[in-house]
Amino acid sequence: MKGFTLWFTGLPSSGKSTLARRVEQVLLERGMNVEVLDGDEVRETFSKGLGFSKEDRDTNIRRIGFVAKLLSRNGTVAITAAISPYRETRDEMRKAIGRFVEVYVQCPIDVLKERDVKGLYKKALAGEIKHFTGVDDPYEAPAKPEVLVESDRESEEQSVAKIITTLETLGYIPRVPGTDYSPAEEEAIKTRLKDLGYI
Amino acid sequence: MALKWFQQPSERACVVGLDGVPFSMVKRFVAEGVMPRLGAIIASGAAFRETTVSLPEISSVSWSSFMTGKNPGEHGIFGFTDLHPGTYTQSFPSFRDLKCDTIWDRLGEQKMRSVVINQPATYPARPVHGALVSGFVAVHLDKSVFPARYLRQLREINYEIDLDAELVRDNPTALFRALHELLRVREALMDILWKEEKWNLMEVVITGTDRLHHFMMDAYEDTAHPNHKDFLDYYRAVDAFVGRVHDRFVADASEPRNFFVLSDHGFCRTHHEVNINTVLAQHGFLKMSGDDPKRLENISEAAVAFGLDPSRIYLHRRGRYPRGGVDDSRADALMNEISEAFLALRHDGEQIIRKVFRGRDVYSGAASANGPDLILLTKAGFDLKGRLGAPDVIATRRLQGMHTWDDAFVVTGRTDLVPHGRELTLLDVPAMLVASLGLEPAHA
Repeated sequence: MKGFTLWFTGLPSSGKSTLARRVEQVLLERGMNVEVLDGDEVRETFSKGLGFSKEDRDTNIRRIGFVAKLLSRNGTVAITAAISPYRETRDEMRKAIGRFVEVYVQCPIDVLKERDVKGLYKKALAGEIKHFTGVDDPYEAPAKPEVLVESDRESEEQSVAKIITTLETLGYIPRVPGTDYSPAEEEAIKTRLKDLGYI
Repeated sequence: MALKWFQQPSERACVVGLDGVPFSMVKRFVAEGVMPRLGAIIASGAAFRETTVSLPEISSVSWSSFMTGKNPGEHGIFGFTDLHPGTYTQSFPSFRDLKCDTIWDRLGEQKMRSVVINQPATYPARPVHGALVSGFVAVHLDKSVFPARYLRQLREINYEIDLDAELVRDNPTALFRALHELLRVREALMDILWKEEKWNLMEVVITGTDRLHHFMMDAYEDTAHPNHKDFLDYYRAVDAFVGRVHDRFVADASEPRNFFVLSDHGFCRTHHEVNINTVLAQHGFLKMSGDDPKRLENISEAAVAFGLDPSRIYLHRRGRYPRGGVDDSRADALMNEISEAFLALRHDGEQIIRKVFRGRDVYSGAASANGPDLILLTKAGFDLKGRLGAPDVIATRRLQGMHTWDDAFVVTGRTDLVPHGRELTLLDVPAMLVASLGLEPAHA
C-alpha cells in the first residue's frame, strides 16, 4: 500500500480538524497506517515559537509538508489539517510530495464568524488577536482542489463520503469489495432500468 | 498496446453522441429540414454513414465499445445486468467493471486531456486526464463527477443526470419540458468545461433522444399524433445544439474536420414484447424448481439454458453455475437446438428472430468466457425480454420504442479516415477518432 498526503486547507474553524479525524477513522478501519498532523498541535510542538507573519506561516507549512512527505513515502497516509493560507506554498508541497490530495474546506466567513466555536473570530474582530486569517490576514482559496467540501451546506457524513469516494476514484485507497453500489443505489438502478424497459 | 505517434497530433476533436438516434431518422430529418445544421455539415462534405453496433444492442454495451474501441469480449460489459460469478444473483456492472483502458486513458498517456459529459456506462466516475461527468445509470451526482471540484458548478446550473421516467411516462408536457431542460444543462456544463479544461477531446452525449423514443416513438411516425410537433421541435433543438457545438469547435480547432456525431444504436417502434425465457421453458430448455419461478436462484439442475435481458442466452454449464449440468461436449448440439427453436418462432405467421449469433463468433478476448453463448437478433417491432415466469411468449408492449442493432449512424468530417468498401460498425468510430488526434488506433 503506497502512502499519500491528504491536505486539508481552509479558514480557521471551517471544520478541517474534525473532518481529518473522521477520515482518519475510516482509513484506520480499512487497515491503513494513518497520521494526522493537526495545525494547532504542530504549533505547540515542532513549530513552537513561530509567529503568524507570512514567512513564519510558510515555514510552518513547509515543516508539516516535510513530515507528510516522509510519512507518505513510507506507506503512511499523512493527513494535514492546517489553515495553509498561501496557494503558492501549498502548490510547493504538492510538487514536493507527489501523491497529494487537496481538500478545500469552504465556509463563508460570515458563517464562521457566527459559528465561532473557539471565540477566536470575536477576539480577532475586536483587535485582540492580530494576523488572523480571514480577518486581517489573507486566505488564498485553491484553484483546483481534488475535493471541495462545503462545510456550511453538507453534513460531516456527506463530506467524509465525498473525500473517501475521491480517494477510491483516484486509486489511492482500495475499494471495499462489493460496495460499488449500495443497496439503495442498486434499487435506484433497478427502477431506472425497469422504467426504460431494460429489465 | 503502446501508442506510437505517427504524425503531429491535431489539436482537438469533438464528439456529440445522440443516444439511440437512427440513421434513417437523421436522413429523413435532414431531408425535411428538421435538422438543418446537421444537414449543412453533411452537405459541406462530411461523411454520413450507417453503422451496426455491439451485441446486444444496448447503450451500456455500445458505449463501452465506443469508449474502449474494443468488443465486449475484451471490455467485459455484456448488458445492464449480469450475474455475480458463480451465482444466480443479479449484478449491475459498473464503470469499474470495464476490463480494458478507455480511449481517454490512452489519450491521457500522451498527456492529452479529455472532457466526457453524460456518456452512459461511466458510473461511478473514475479519473481521466481531464474531466468526466457520468451518464446513465448514474444515481448520485457526488459519485458522478471527476474531479470532484466541479460538483459545485454542476449544482449551480441545476445539473440533472436524467429525467424521472415515472414522472414523465404518461405526461407528455412534463416529458418534453424535462427533455429540453436536460439539453440545457448538458450545454451549460459543456460551456463550463470547454472554458476551464485545456482539452484535446470534448465529448458530450445527449440521452434525451433515447428517452423520447422509448416513451413516444409513435409520435415520430404518426403525423396526426398529438405530440408529433413536439417530437420534431425537440429534434430541432437537438440540431441547433449540434450546430452551436460545431460552430464553436470550428472556431477553436486547428483541424475543424475532427467533428463527430454518432449514435450507439438504432430505434424502431415496438409492437410486441417477447419473453425469451418463456420460449426456453416451453421447449424444455429451462426448468425451475421452488416456489418462485421469477427468481433465477430457483433454476433447476435439469435446466440447460436461461436468458438474460434483453437477448442473451446462457447455457447452464457445469462449473460455471452452481447447479449447472451442461458439459462442453453437449454445448454445440444444445446451441443448435436452441437456435432452431428461436428461428422457428412465429407470431401471426411472422418470423420473430432473424438471426442467432454465437458468442464465440461475435466476441473475442479474455472476457468472452463471461459472455452469453447465444445472442438473438429480432425483427423490428419484437422487443426481447429476459423476464422469468411470464406465462406467454408474446406480451403487450410497455413502451413505444425499442433498440435496433443496425440503423445507427456516424457523421464525420474526417472522410479520409472512413473505411471504404465495407459496412461500418460502431467500433470504426473510436478508431477514426483517435486517428484524428494523430494516434494509432488500438484495434487496427
